[in-house]
Amino acid sequence: MKKIINVRYFVIGLVMSFFASSCIDLKEEVFSAVTAENFFKTDEEFISALGQAYTSLGGLGNHSGLWSINEIASDEITVSHKGGDWFDGGVLLQLHQHEFKSDNPFFQNSWNFLFGGINTCNRLIFSFEKLDNPNSPAFIAELRALRALYYYWAMDAFGNIPIVTDFADVEAPATKSRKEVYDFVLKELNEVIPLLKATKDGTTYGRMTKWSALMIRMKLYLNAEVYTGTPQWALAAADASEIINSGVYSLMPSYKANFAINNSQSTENIFVYPYDKVFAGGFNWVMMTLHIVSQATFNLTQQPWNGYQTVEEFYNSYVDPAKNPGTQGPVWKGLALTPSTGTIDGRLSNFLVGPQFRADGTTLIDPGVEPTDPTGRNGDPNGPPLTFMPYLNEISPGGLRQAGARIAKYEFERGGTNNMSNDFVIFRLSDVILSLAEARFRLGQTTEALALVNQIRARAGNLDPFTTLTAESLLAERGREMYVEMTRRQDLIRFKKYGDAWWPFAGMNRPKLVHSPGSFLELFPIPAPQLLANPKLKQNPGYN
Amino acid sequence: MKKQLRMIFVFGLLFVFCVGHSAYAQLAKITGKVTDVTSGEGMPGVSILVKGTSRGAVTDLDGNYSIEAGPNEVLIITFIGFQPKEELVGTRLVINTSLAESIQALNEVVVVGYGTQERKEITSAVTSVKAESFNQGTVNDPRQLLQGKVAGLNIARPGGNPNGGFNMRLRGISSIGENASPLIVIDGVIGASLSTVDPNDIESMDVLKDGSAAAIYGTRGSSGVILVTTKAGKKGRTVVEFNSSVATENVARTINVMTAEEYKQIPGSRDLGGNTDWMDEVTKTGFSFINNLSLGGGNEGTSYRISINSRNVDGVGINSGFDQLNARLNLTQRALKDKAVFSVNISNTSIDRQFGNENSFRYAIISNPTLPVMDPMPQSPNFGGYSERDIFDWFNPVSIAEQNIADGRDSRLLASIRGEYNFSSKFRGAVFYASQRETDWRGSYSPKTAKFGGGFGRNGLATIQNNERLNDLFETTLNYDETAGKVGMAFLAGYSYQEFFNQGDYTQAGNFLTDAFTYNNIGAALDFANGLATVSSYANSNKLVAFFGRANFNLEDTYLLSVSARYEGSTRFGANNKWGLFPAISAGVNIANLLDMSGVSAMKFRVSYGRTGTQPGESYLSLLRFGRQGNFFYNGQFVPSYGPVSNANPDLAWETKDEYNIGLDFVILNNKLDGAIDYYTRVTTGMILPINVPVPPNLFPTTQLNIGEMSNSGLEVMLNYKAIQKSDFRWTTGINFSTLKTNLKSLSSGDLSFGEVNYRSNFGSPGQNLTQLIRIQENGPLGQIWGPVQVGISETGAPIMKVINGTAKDANGNPVYCNCNDDRTQLGTAYPTLNFGFNNTFNYKNWDLNFFFRGSFGHYLINSYRGFYENTESTTVQNWNIVNTKYFDPKITKAEYNSTHVEKADFVVLDNATLGYNFNVGPGRAIGRIRTFISVQNPLMFTGYTGVDPEVRYGDSESGNDPLAPGIERRATYFTTTITTLGLNLSF
Repeated sequence: MKKIINVRYFVIGLVMSFFASSCIDLKEEVFSAVTAENFFKTDEEFISALGQAYTSLGGLGNHSGLWSINEIASDEITVSHKGGDWFDGGVLLQLHQHEFKSDNPFFQNSWNFLFGGINTCNRLIFSFEKLDNPNSPAFIAELRALRALYYYWAMDAFGNIPIVTDFADVEAPATKSRKEVYDFVLKELNEVIPLLKATKDGTTYGRMTKWSALMIRMKLYLNAEVYTGTPQWALAAADASEIINSGVYSLMPSYKANFAINNSQSTENIFVYPYDKVFAGGFNWVMMTLHIVSQATFNLTQQPWNGYQTVEEFYNSYVDPAKNPGTQGPVWKGLALTPSTGTIDGRLSNFLVGPQFRADGTTLIDPGVEPTDPTGRNGDPNGPPLTFMPYLNEISPGGLRQAGARIAKYEFERGGTNNMSNDFVIFRLSDVILSLAEARFRLGQTTEALALVNQIRARAGNLDPFTTLTAESLLAERGREMYVEMTRRQDLIRFKKYGDAWWPFAGMNRPKLVHSPGSFLELFPIPAPQLLANPKLKQNPGYN
Repeated sequence: MKKQLRMIFVFGLLFVFCVGHSAYAQLAKITGKVTDVTSGEGMPGVSILVKGTSRGAVTDLDGNYSIEAGPNEVLIITFIGFQPKEELVGTRLVINTSLAESIQALNEVVVVGYGTQERKEITSAVTSVKAESFNQGTVNDPRQLLQGKVAGLNIARPGGNPNGGFNMRLRGISSIGENASPLIVIDGVIGASLSTVDPNDIESMDVLKDGSAAAIYGTRGSSGVILVTTKAGKKGRTVVEFNSSVATENVARTINVMTAEEYKQIPGSRDLGGNTDWMDEVTKTGFSFINNLSLGGGNEGTSYRISINSRNVDGVGINSGFDQLNARLNLTQRALKDKAVFSVNISNTSIDRQFGNENSFRYAIISNPTLPVMDPMPQSPNFGGYSERDIFDWFNPVSIAEQNIADGRDSRLLASIRGEYNFSSKFRGAVFYASQRETDWRGSYSPKTAKFGGGFGRNGLATIQNNERLNDLFETTLNYDETAGKVGMAFLAGYSYQEFFNQGDYTQAGNFLTDAFTYNNIGAALDFANGLATVSSYANSNKLVAFFGRANFNLEDTYLLSVSARYEGSTRFGANNKWGLFPAISAGVNIANLLDMSGVSAMKFRVSYGRTGTQPGESYLSLLRFGRQGNFFYNGQFVPSYGPVSNANPDLAWETKDEYNIGLDFVILNNKLDGAIDYYTRVTTGMILPINVPVPPNLFPTTQLNIGEMSNSGLEVMLNYKAIQKSDFRWTTGINFSTLKTNLKSLSSGDLSFGEVNYRSNFGSPGQNLTQLIRIQENGPLGQIWGPVQVGISETGAPIMKVINGTAKDANGNPVYCNCNDDRTQLGTAYPTLNFGFNNTFNYKNWDLNFFFRGSFGHYLINSYRGFYENTESTTVQNWNIVNTKYFDPKITKAEYNSTHVEKADFVVLDNATLGYNFNVGPGRAIGRIRTFISVQNPLMFTGYTGVDPEVRYGDSESGNDPLAPGIERRATYFTTTITTLGLNLSF
């Protein structure tokens, strides 16, 4: 028996010696992920960390985020419910019809995009402040400017939002008023503008410079009346003039060169997000807007989705000589199967419209087309040959599959993938010129304003200069120039046209879209999941 | 002196005598007869062994035996199916004895965690299924052996995909955050893969249902535990078994669609001139050949069993099936005078798979029946001669399956060695080491002419993928058995260490000069040069360390008590919560031993409580991690960028489940009826869920948190009745059923919440994205199917939905339907309220007949086929075929998910019917047994459901099997099949 006990002790001793060693160690061993402990060690890691603040911008060119909510809620873009396609729970119709609901996932996506970006900036500022690296001060200034951009967008879309600047602060933040956010962004910009680089070269391409920061401030001032109740036209004009007078940027001779596949040589683009089909995917307008059989036109690797279309009235603002005087020539109008006469604005390159062809030049056939109906009510006037008509029959449920001019602003690549390589233009000199024109116009300096607008019209091609300027013609010119550059919703609100009953289409079983300037609908609702996650957030007035 | 010498002689003689006597006198020739206690007849072939020796004998035809034994020795008399008996020899030279048939329900050995017990000692809810009760026919997956056999254990594989897995749920759903399938333990190897074991090699499967039985497995016990015991060699004659079967498999159920003639009647339909039965085109008759050979035997020191199993299975889908080869060796060696026992088990499996493509079924359903399979048009060479049309969301289904290649090879190695040393008859210790190596290789290729699968768009697209999962288990246990007075005690203590390591890689690249390489020369893809290829790899690990113990007390088989605990730590837990304690206690009392009840052999009442856990489903969830997030344009070139992919949660812990179980085991009506009734209630807290958190201050919009509370309760009944027990005719019938009730009490903790109400899942493209189907609600049951109620059809053919809350108003202020959750409601429930299995076995002379019904009641399914395709919407008319069930209404022209697509899915299926014949084999022949059988699986199904398979869906197959979105039949469901098997069993 004694012997047995000894053996037992021996076994227990053996077992205990196991436990003393690694056999009860429960620390996780990480192989293919990076943790906070093993990062920020080399210069490359340092730079790649800064990069995250920018790569967050990659959400801009994708369906269902900030760009989508801004454009679909404006009079530029719609995504009609095409038979069985694109109903998707009605969220796209709700956006276009201004029936904003806080559980619409597009709002949540936008919020995550914006505050994900803000948070990344905060985190990196926090990290760089702690690190003794010679690059730190410049990086911090750049990050603050970028954060100001995210805040400006968030304030523009959602109005009353939380402000968080300290990464170390772990309290859930409370809602601040739109005015407070405006003041905060302004203060940040004022502080960082003198610290930012003013050069335009390879090292500042796709990065926040003094000029991009000035442009954010210009936009704050331009919309100051909407944001704060107090207009700031003179300050907007001053910032715009500073950018223009710097001589760093100049208008490209060709409008569409700014949006070419290789648009990095543009002298006009101030701030871009450099997309690339290999290195930086996510820009998929080619999928969003083209018809499924357009795959054969561009030899795309994937079948497009046949979604986003241009609102017909908006398209007409280019070709209508009364609104847009200029050289007359053949243009596509309505549901006509042959070209009509209209203004051949050089910027019609924004659209893909008319009969479509395969890459080899033969007619492109859409076997999934509705029955032929020359009235366009119950079917396509042209039947199976794919023809993009500017005409939109209805928003739901029977939107024609071939209806609507398609977004061709960014050049489509032959043999392209679902990721476009064109760099996404966030800020551009044209916008500065038109903003200066508007500020001058509001200040009563109509002559200067008219000259600036005509500068833009002259570059567009085939247009006659305006002889007079009205708020309406100024807004229309902004529309034609800035189509799908995510300014339209803001412009409509500023020009008090956001609640107008545009596109009085047939088949809508609801009253015409009308709400007056200043309506609560000028802000999007705070997304429901955010309210759930953070009880300190308050929903915007008017939404429940 | 003479006298002295005489004395010495006498003493010497005495000594010799004594020694001789002690050597001889202890062994006397004992004879006797062994009889059957009921019939009184002699029993041939009964084994008699002198305890602790190798002396043994076998009774002759009349039951007589003779053996040499000493007065202090004990004879052990055993015969299969009878209770063993021990007889102390004493002074007797003739020992006649009788054996009573064993009441299996009382004495069968039940495998429990880290040990075995007799059925009568069990105090928790454990169901043991032995090989003779397993499902028959063509069974390729061990899970299928148990399907319908255990009350409360649901096993379902929707459709008949030969490569598809079975989903298992024990007692409904115990975890909504993490893996909800029961833990598998094979011969002591925790977390072993079921594909390491061939169904033919399984001796028994024991299901630990309640928390007290599973608590010894700690953080992995919450979803129940299934203990698989493989067959081992037995001491004695060498046994050779050979089983062979051939099976044909045919499509049983699809969904009804229009024929070409019916389709042409629909106004506006597009007649393309052909007449194609697409369902028929994408399916074929499958053939399976299954062969198993095993050799087993043993002597005093060694016993072994070797088996080789081969399965060649060809599914009903084009290019679908697998070839599996499995070999197993189970070896036991005794040493050091039987004090040491070594066991080695090695199993190796290789499975070559051909996956086919389920999307061929999906598109077969909507293929225009007037379209020929092969296209005579000039562009057809672009698509390999298959007809393809440029329409939305349609691909030639025959082309999908015939042109695309999707192969795989799974390799499994499971090896274990166990050494046990008996320090004394009461005290023993064991050391166990096991290692499992799993590798899955996948290769697929979509040729340039395949429109589906990316080949056409990418000019040939190849993918190769490897995943490797390794785990090593080391355990040591000590057992101590003691008797104090009338109380038997058994103690167990142990330590367990298990390490897991996973790694894998994935490469996808397109643009090939030729299709000739398929996936075998991926470097030839031009995509590597132009940057469009995708390459990734990963590695992760985790570890579990545990101390565990158990004490069992048994007072004369009448009062029973068991107490256990596992103290377990996991690397996956957050830094502040590395270790958890999982205790259990259970007690039973056998009333039959206390009261005199006629005909009652046993009546055991038991109660138990146990706590189990569920660990996070992935490693590193508690850490703040950064991952690659695109590229950053820096100084004229792209550099990689990293950003956060998770928030830190140092408090991340296990999900906790507390379960109470009361049960009654009984054997009554003179052993004719035995059964078990269990009622349980369980509460799961701290479910691991991704919770929305504010950004900022958090880095990432969701954090893995322990949150919420869920409760389940249910009743489980299992009954077996020996209805007729005549010598040439026997009928045994058994029924089991279970009920289930779930309630999701809370999804919140403080300010943080998963959402008081959540909507999950998505109906999908075309046109029905962002259309959520399942509601999850605090204080409601799980699995609420959600949507609008159709009340009519508009003039344009769109469904008119019911206004429920009327929050939306038209211009005149009248309530109108709001396309929002205000006007949606619960349309059904995804989980069945009742599951049952009903078994009957008849034996008549040499014939045996078995049939087994299984059913589920009370659940609903969303029939996605109908939700998308049962309408005459213009696109559908011109391009897609129309689903044509009894609900088809030609007036409906719009596809919009609503109440009419949610169907009751109650079903009863004849899972299996088997007729067997045992040939008479005379004694002394080389062949011991010949049996042939014919078996039909799934020949009959009774259901009102119009979709493909009314089987319960426990998760959404289109969103990673999301357990929060059950009850949806998706469009790519594999058609169900009927299998007819002809088989032969031989043993030598």
